Amino acid sequence: MTPTITTNGNGNSGARSGSRLLLIFLKEIREIFRDKRTIRSVIIGPLVITPLMFAGIGLIVSTQTEKEKTKELTIGIVGGAQAPSLLAALQQVPNLKVEPVSPSDAEGRIRERKLNAVAILPPDYEHLNADYKPAPIQIMLDEGEANSQAAAGRLQDAFTKLGEQIVLRRLQAHNLSADVAHPFTLQEKPIQSGGNSASFFLAMILPYTLVVSAFSGCVFTALDQVAGEKERGTLETLLVSPASRRDIVLGKFAAVLTTCILSSVLSIVGLVITFSLRGNVFALASQGGLHLSPVAVGVTLMVILPLSVLFAGLLLTVSTYARNQREAQTYVAPLLLMVLMPAMVSMFIGTDVGRPIALVPVLGATIIIKQALSGSYDPAFILLAFGASIVYAAVALTYAIRLFQKESVLVKT
Amino acid sequence: MIEAKELSKQFTDKKRGVIQAVNQVSFQCSPGEIFGLLGPNGAGKTTLLRMLATILQPTSGTATVAGFDICKQPQEVRSHIGYLSNSTALYERLTGREMVAYFGALHGLTPQEIQQRSEEIFAELDMNDFVDGRCDKFSSGQKQRVSIARTILHQPPVLFFDEPTNGLDIITARSITRFIRQCRNQGRTVVFSTHIMSEVEALCDRIAIIYQGRICAIGTLEELRERTGKRAFEDVFLRIIGEDDEA
Repeated sequence: MTPTITTNGNGNSGARSGSRLLLIFLKEIREIFRDKRTIRSVIIGPLVITPLMFAGIGLIVSTQTEKEKTKELTIGIVGGAQAPSLLAALQQVPNLKVEPVSPSDAEGRIRERKLNAVAILPPDYEHLNADYKPAPIQIMLDEGEANSQAAAGRLQDAFTKLGEQIVLRRLQAHNLSADVAHPFTLQEKPIQSGGNSASFFLAMILPYTLVVSAFSGCVFTALDQVAGEKERGTLETLLVSPASRRDIVLGKFAAVLTTCILSSVLSIVGLVITFSLRGNVFALASQGGLHLSPVAVGVTLMVILPLSVLFAGLLLTVSTYARNQREAQTYVAPLLLMVLMPAMVSMFIGTDVGRPIALVPVLGATIIIKQALSGSYDPAFILLAFGASIVYAAVALTYAIRLFQKESVLVKT
Repeated sequence: MIEAKELSKQFTDKKRGVIQAVNQVSFQCSPGEIFGLLGPNGAGKTTLLRMLATILQPTSGTATVAGFDICKQPQEVRSHIGYLSNSTALYERLTGREMVAYFGALHGLTPQEIQQRSEEIFAELDMNDFVDGRCDKFSSGQKQRVSIARTILHQPPVLFFDEPTNGLDIITARSITRFIRQCRNQGRTVVFSTHIMSEVEALCDRIAIIYQGRICAIGTLEELRERTGKRAFEDVFLRIIGEDDEA
């Protein structure tokens, strides 16, 4: 060490303020990303776990549906002997086992689960059919049982199909075209700018996922930033450095904000990956293929910023106020609920809501994303909600900065 | 280099009401001097040092540190001090070298200055074999050496040590007292707080005895002995704070 005393950092501290803020930010980012817990919750979670989870759910749902379709069900026929043509046709239906049953046994056999459903054919079916009269057919089922319902459903489908075939034969017998029985041909035509069924689903869960991941992605980081430093005793060291408290809180805020934005952007990427996995995931997602318009992406990104500022500000406030991380966590629980509630509500209400809703924190912002994804905007709503979330974000940040100037919350006495 | 003028600090505690942690404290301390603050736990030593280091704002009174007013120019004050306490910790996920460099940069040192001075200090404190490891892996002695490097890197003219040897083993404690003496010999102003009598006897040029937020006496060890008529320093201390049996 040199015995001379030099003085450093004199005079021009104002000019260095920006660079100190940057220094603090860079150091926090370095520390944050050396922490395996952050890597797990911010990167691996949304990019690997979420897609895997959704893919898993999709796989289970689709295989289950497939199984249901091919499962063999047993039905009883009352009066099959008097209606041989009908019986023969029913025996052709795939995955349906047909058994004769007496009218008195029918109900009991269903109750014992020996039969899934029973079709009661009229004894004079062949005559009615020959006379072009409607034949009354009863389908007996146990409404409280899934297999029975499925069997009844298959019977109905089978009879509908048979009915169409019979009509066709009758028309042919009178030299009439099959078109006579179809006065309309109906076709759904989805409009171009609107969302498809996949983006409808995405519009429902994306705002929620976004809010949850933005919040949960930075909870740990935010609590670590001030409450954690107080707990470990490093904050005092930082407070005696030439960095002003404003530099410190803004540097830390920027670091939390970065984590927050990264977490929410990656969660969107994760969701998009999930929806792009064709085939096994969601039937409705793979039907239309996913199409995110640039506008939808732009609006979503635009909304993430004020939302993230709000969350980072709120959590940093909690982190500053609490004496240690454990205390901070007790404040986070109710805060999480307050954030989740509006996000959940956004899943269940449509995009066509009253404008005052735009002013509800979080909810307004999530509705904007929903509107953008479904392609139906209300510019006034967007402006209101966006403006409101900027105001909330500014309030949260200002409060966090103010609180950080208070020595009573920073220093244990 | 340090001049405290009637510094006072009150805290308001929910349970205990208003607490006068530091009460009208005035003293002066010059370059090349180790000024000892001796007092029992809770006497107000830490609060006093925190005010001088601008972590806390005085309720009344003020002080100048290295020529700057702690109330009006806190940032200037912080640029000219080094502060080491037994509770100042390191950033666990930084290496020792990064930790020192971070605070050097906050003090406005250039990367070249940081590099050059770190090398000197690491060699002097024998830190080269561990300084590139992460701070959470260090022993308490290694941690304290990193803290010392952090405290001195920007070559501050004023240094505060708040019970720096608390909870450390004798070898580490010795290296710290040696370091404090070295700072004095380099012409720095050193304020050193402790409740350990022997450290005060061994290190301090002048001593302030602080009790219940007030300074009860200031002087060299000899002056305090003369004033109390006691020889053993423990007796001197107890007589001054008025807690000895004879009083």
